[in-house]
Amino acid sequence: MRHATNGVAAAMALLMASGAVAQEIDYGNFDGYVLRVKLIGGAQYEPLYAEIPKWTEMTGATVDVLSRKNHFELDREIKQDIAAGTLDWCVGSNHTSFAPQYGGIYADLNDVMSDEVLSGFQELALQNSTVDGRLVQLPRHSDISNLYYQKSLYEDQANKDAFMSEYGYALAPPETWDQFRDQAKFFADAPNFYGTQYVGKDEAITGRFYELLVAEGGALFDADWNPTFNSEAGVRAVEWFKDLYDARAVPAGVLNYLWDDTGLGFASGTVALNLDWAGWASFFNTPEQSKVAGDIGLVRAPMGSSGKRTGWSGSHSFSITETCDNMDAAASFVAFLTSHERQMVEARKGLLPTRGSVWDAAQKEFADAGNDFLVLVFSTYAQSMAEDAFTPPLIPEWIEVSNEIWPRLQAAILGEMTAQEALDEAADAAREIMEDAGYL
Amino acid sequence: MPAIRKSVPFWQREQFIPVLLLLPAIVTLLFVVLLPLLFSLYTSFTGYRLIRPDTLYNWVGFRNYERIFTDADFWVAFGRTVLFLAIALNLEFLFGLGIALLINRVTWGQRTLRTIMMFPMMFSPILVGYQFKFVFNDNIGVLNNALHALGISDGAIPWLVDRYLAMFSILFAEIWMSTSVFAILLLAGLFAMPRDPLEAAKVDGCNPWQVFRHITLPFLMPFAFIAMTIRSLDVARAYDIVDVMTGGGPAGRTELLWTMIARVGYDNARMGQANAMAYVSILLSILFTYYFYTKLIAARRYMGGAD
Repeated sequence: MRHATNGVAAAMALLMASGAVAQEIDYGNFDGYVLRVKLIGGAQYEPLYAEIPKWTEMTGATVDVLSRKNHFELDREIKQDIAAGTLDWCVGSNHTSFAPQYGGIYADLNDVMSDEVLSGFQELALQNSTVDGRLVQLPRHSDISNLYYQKSLYEDQANKDAFMSEYGYALAPPETWDQFRDQAKFFADAPNFYGTQYVGKDEAITGRFYELLVAEGGALFDADWNPTFNSEAGVRAVEWFKDLYDARAVPAGVLNYLWDDTGLGFASGTVALNLDWAGWASFFNTPEQSKVAGDIGLVRAPMGSSGKRTGWSGSHSFSITETCDNMDAAASFVAFLTSHERQMVEARKGLLPTRGSVWDAAQKEFADAGNDFLVLVFSTYAQSMAEDAFTPPLIPEWIEVSNEIWPRLQAAILGEMTAQEALDEAADAAREIMEDAGYL
Repeated sequence: MPAIRKSVPFWQREQFIPVLLLLPAIVTLLFVVLLPLLFSLYTSFTGYRLIRPDTLYNWVGFRNYERIFTDADFWVAFGRTVLFLAIALNLEFLFGLGIALLINRVTWGQRTLRTIMMFPMMFSPILVGYQFKFVFNDNIGVLNNALHALGISDGAIPWLVDRYLAMFSILFAEIWMSTSVFAILLLAGLFAMPRDPLEAAKVDGCNPWQVFRHITLPFLMPFAFIAMTIRSLDVARAYDIVDVMTGGGPAGRTELLWTMIARVGYDNARMGQANAMAYVSILLSILFTYYFYTKLIAARRYMGGAD
């Protein structure tokens, strides 16, 4: 509630500061039309949906939300719709990692949205939303991870001295993944306190492995789509996870963790370092919800041995089905949800906008309100989005390849096979998928 | 008279009337059960991918089945499912029997106890999964905190990660939820039990163990086998609890047939291959059902009942 009031006050200030930007666009008139939509659900996504009544009021249409699920469940539902031929809805939540799977069910938004609407988006965000030359989704907000840490741990003189004598260099927030590993081990005191934690299953850990692989100088595939992740760089990446697991620097149950677990873990105050997306920023810094509020530092994600920083990135987005019975209404709805004002609503929660103008306006708003933490969050994430961001391969087989990789990563971390054996096995399975799909 | 008989249409003749009356049921079964079964059987011979409807006509013969028969992961999951079934059914039977015998002795408040006993069955398996995921969480879980507070363990026990503990945790949740199925059916058996043989045995000087072993238990076995048949079908398609608690992981340590089939069918969108797996796994259910059914008939014969 406190946030909402702050937000409204800040929006009013912005309204007065720049009347031109805040001016409401004409979203058309669709009196009596019922727009059927399927949206991603979850605490981070809901504030935007609270804005929907404004669109229905402006246009006279009503919105029928057919489902509101997490993305993995929504993905299954959409696949069932494709199989059953029941694409009788217009707008669906989408994600850059998932979009290539859906083939031609979504309309090319280059033909549907006006150039005026599209020109406001960041070039790279639109490029990553394009599959086979078709803009199948309009990016809503982006995700990329940076490193949160408990500031007081780094300011403590006893920690500084002990770290210096044990590792031979000064204790400061990590610049490289090796330093990250050292410091995570240094701070760990299981089972009461952990150095860090990572997401341990599903596409989540594949993504983490993938970005570390790239930062170590490796690649998932070569130019001809032969799997190449079972390289030395790949082994180094897997060993980073395994070392921390063996050293008990991460919780023992980490292989069952997903995003909620890592976020809530850091907020519980029992974790020193946490690589996570910006969507948690406000939550971490709210005293009622988080024990580390007021004690959070943030640095860019560390560099691998190649000198490149990790920057696995993607965007949540909205798509319009080809079968939609009212393209204009659907386009108007998507334009509304991704407009400057709506992206400001999400930006205030720490979600990263896909419009250049929102980055500037949001940073200015936070600075004016004296919210130094969100200014730090936005400047850090702006830099990593601009310099470090890369997506997984935008191919329909990505999730399937990922499903071959992550159980083997877990097996290597648990010591059931060596890192090399695990990656070799995953590479063979990935090759079979790529052969089946006609790449090889 | 023969002229009149000839004019009656064949569907009005006496011998067709039962067929006619059963026709709605037959048609319903045909559409609801048989056609989907035939359709999924057909797709198991195709390279059907959920997200490419046109692949439905991509006939691949036995390729899906060949892949399954050479896929070690599938057979490990198959074996694990059989083991899971065997342990769950036996423990549920033992606990259910114990509960039923105890409740049978209670003379006051028996109905309330029976209702309380059925509480775990009233929850959806997904909720049970979340409940035990929280109980067994290594860091913030109730169990580890309790063990720590009582001084029984000094570290975080990885309940949902360790090879044996993870299967134990899932079994615990499954047994917690469904033991009452056995208890209810066995209790019904105890209620239906005639008093005469028991009294005759006592007069003849049998001790309580002999009465239980030679009269009560044989009488209850048909009820136990009915419960086992029902539960074997349930457990063989265990999915919700496992998916919520571990998702079949880590490193496939808790992978059962249906978590694997769901991943192949939906996440990987290879519905043809998933259906082939499902058809192989149905064999498991058929075998268990057949086994329990023969045991049921044998048990009833032993008791002198009808075949």
